[in-house]
Amino acid sequence: MDKSGMPWHLRYLGQPEIGDKNRYALVRNCVDIATSDNLTDFLVEMGFRMDHEFVAKGHVFRKGIMKIMVYKIFRILMPGNTESIEPLSLSYLVELNVVAPAGQDVVSDDMRNFAEQLKPLVHLEKIDPKRLM
Amino acid sequence: GQTGKLMYVMHNSEYPLSCFALFENGPCLIADANFDTLMVKLKGFFQNAKANKIESRGTRYQYCDFLVKVGTVTMGPSARGISVEVEYCPCVIANDCWNLLLEFMQSFMGSHTPGIPSVFGAKHDSIYSPADTMVQYMELFNKIRKQQQVPVAGIR
Repeated sequence: MDKSGMPWHLRYLGQPEIGDKNRYALVRNCVDIATSDNLTDFLVEMGFRMDHEFVAKGHVFRKGIMKIMVYKIFRILMPGNTESIEPLSLSYLVELNVVAPAGQDVVSDDMRNFAEQLKPLVHLEKIDPKRLM
Repeated sequence: GQTGKLMYVMHNSEYPLSCFALFENGPCLIADANFDTLMVKLKGFFQNAKANKIESRGTRYQYCDFLVKVGTVTMGPSARGISVEVEYCPCVIANDCWNLLLEFMQSFMGSHTPGIPSVFGAKHDSIYSPADTMVQYMELFNKIRKQQQVPVAGIR
């Protein structure tokens, strides 16, 4: 996916939605924007500061609107240089996500049903982003 | 902290699926239409500058390899000027066709023909991009914003 000439992808993720406690999946507001390649310079000009960067290498699978990603996270040794990297751990991270129109909460049930099928190979759990910050 | 910086968000009907965001003397981001949605989400972090929305609306003419767009520049309800955009479509390197553009413009603009746009500056041989067009419109609109509105005087 990292081909030269492809647009850069900016994703805005909002806070987890209220009423989330009973849902099986984490639900957040999401805005996806394709941009030109001067995105990082532009964000700095807007007043944003880089918090962290990483490289993810792996596979993307699709089932309908569900996207399953299996990837390894790599730490970047020299800022901005994606060639000099080292793996963060030996494990792969499995992520299941869906982008759906606002209000379509029933999608989280489909996600749980799919997650059940992956047991006992993978146990997918809902994460609380606030606990990680 | 920093003194306020102005960010301009512009749209061009020639590129209907895109949104341009630029800073004066800074980078110009070309994004898809969802950028407007993002700005709505982020509006709490920015102050809407008092400058009114400014727009140029008019007719698009195609004359052989040239594109000429003549528009009336309006700020709110009032008309503030006329904009003329001239493009020579086959060429993507500004320096290679500037003389041709000059000659073409002189044929119908006479003394109003402009000098070489400052957006080219040092980089005469780089490939032209829609962002270069938007920077020129931003400069033109800023010039128009700064102009005093001519008051209508009654004559006895």
